[in-house]
Amino acid sequence: MFKKNFNAREARKGFSMVSIFLIYSLIFFVYPLVWMIILMFSKWNFISTPKFAGFYNIQTVLSSEIFWITILNTLRFMVFYIPIVLIASFLFALMLRRIKYGKTFIALSFLVAQVCSGVAYSIIFSKLLSPIGPINIFLNTHFHFTVPWFTSPNMAMFTIALIVTWKFVGYYGIIFYSGMNSISNSLYEAADLDGASKKRQFFGITLPLLNAQVVLVLVLSITLAFGLFTETFIITGGGPLSSTMTPMLVMYNAAFQQLQPTYAATMAVFVALISAGIVKVTKKIIERDVTIV
Amino acid sequence: MRTKRRLSPISIIIHIIMYALALFWLYPYIWMVLASLKPTDKIMTTPFFQGPFSFTNYSFLLHTSKTMNFSFLMALANSIFIAVVATVVVVISSAIVGYGLAKFEFKGKKFILGYIVFQMVFPSFMFIIPQFILMRNLHLINTYSGIILVYLMSAMWCYMCYQNFKSTPSEYIEAARIDGATELWIVFRLMMPLNRTIMSIIAIFTFAGVWNDFLWPMVVMQNYGKMPLAVLLSNFNMQYGVYLGPVMAGSVILALPIVIGFIILRKYFLEGWAVSLK
Repeated sequence: MFKKNFNAREARKGFSMVSIFLIYSLIFFVYPLVWMIILMFSKWNFISTPKFAGFYNIQTVLSSEIFWITILNTLRFMVFYIPIVLIASFLFALMLRRIKYGKTFIALSFLVAQVCSGVAYSIIFSKLLSPIGPINIFLNTHFHFTVPWFTSPNMAMFTIALIVTWKFVGYYGIIFYSGMNSISNSLYEAADLDGASKKRQFFGITLPLLNAQVVLVLVLSITLAFGLFTETFIITGGGPLSSTMTPMLVMYNAAFQQLQPTYAATMAVFVALISAGIVKVTKKIIERDVTIV
Repeated sequence: MRTKRRLSPISIIIHIIMYALALFWLYPYIWMVLASLKPTDKIMTTPFFQGPFSFTNYSFLLHTSKTMNFSFLMALANSIFIAVVATVVVVISSAIVGYGLAKFEFKGKKFILGYIVFQMVFPSFMFIIPQFILMRNLHLINTYSGIILVYLMSAMWCYMCYQNFKSTPSEYIEAARIDGATELWIVFRLMMPLNRTIMSIIAIFTFAGVWNDFLWPMVVMQNYGKMPLAVLLSNFNMQYGVYLGPVMAGSVILALPIVIGFIILRKYFLEGWAVSLK
């Protein structure tokens, strides 16, 4: 009897502690989620009460040109960003393993980019790579050409991919680095005895055993691509010619400049779905259950 | 006996390449700091390490910019205030919720854990608009609370606390209870000190995340006097981008605290990345 009472009191105590989270999430998670669904199916511009509009918003988003432009731009970003950042961070990890002196300094130099404020690094790069910025002045005086980093529609998204790479190489590189460190040396010794070349060892041992890390970096990259905002907002504002218009920029403009929160919310749902879909497909293609026999 | 290994030629080349790349990666930072110390008209025209260096840009931010409605000192104070409040509350709330989940048995616990994980699935950008509507309905637009409230609890950190607290031996808790300790005492004086690493990680990541956050405070805050640094600097850059020197000085003030914190607390950052990726 006493035991049961005691347990009930325990349970109440525990639940009351957890309930602060439940109450908080009711206000800041469930309520917004409900609003999200309301917004998707209604007509509303921040004033008066929302009116039911059926599938009007979904139709508007899916038939609006700008929505597809942003999705296409995101895919373009990924086509530039993912191969560059994957190869660069892999090389970073491989080379960091060979460093004997000053490993901490090198790792920190790369990682310090990761913690940089998005606003600050966007401003720095917009000045560094501006038509009259130091990089272009250097190129002009030594090689007699300049690069239209952010001013050419063909170039701008590529440059954004480059500066995001600057930010994330150290981070992804450390993920690969710690993955490589957990691979047992005996595997390589055995491969050496069998006469396998370094290249064979890389593709036969290192790469397959880093499958989990590769998948992780891909998922992080895809999520990042669909959430791209600060860089494009500050540096290009979506231009030139909408070439760096990202979903987040359009959602921001729609909701807070054009006062169309219903359009923006509906778009957010579709962008999240597309992002999740691409993550799922990528996992299905790349993910392997790696076991060492 | 220790043998001193000599570096092979390839190894020397790798060292040189990596050091060069490290400097190349630091270059934007170094350029930013040097540019912030040069007068605006000299930034783009003088070579890297040359130029009359002074703190004019910083005193511009302190004094002159106020007359243009941009008080950077106030923005710095706002950023510190918002980040500190969020950090303190997140650390405390995650510990309490984590303790409740880890050391108590009650009906529906499994469901709540599932619900917490479910929340972590959603990308944060989905919630900007509905959360803005929430703040609007609460009449909290243009207030500090409007910015801070959404930071105060994090499903992810509650879950991290739960996972870490599970491995703290229950005997300690029993012993404290026999000595008459209240549950809150146990959280603050027992669980938090015993799980110092995860608590530090939560504090550091929350502080840095809130400090660097941009979109949410920009959406909620239109009042220049209450803006955090990131938002005020972005506005200043957009309106007065020609004041290149002060813009760079503002970037230094925004970026450097986190960078220095990172260098000092790098152990926690690295561990934090390791745990948050699992």
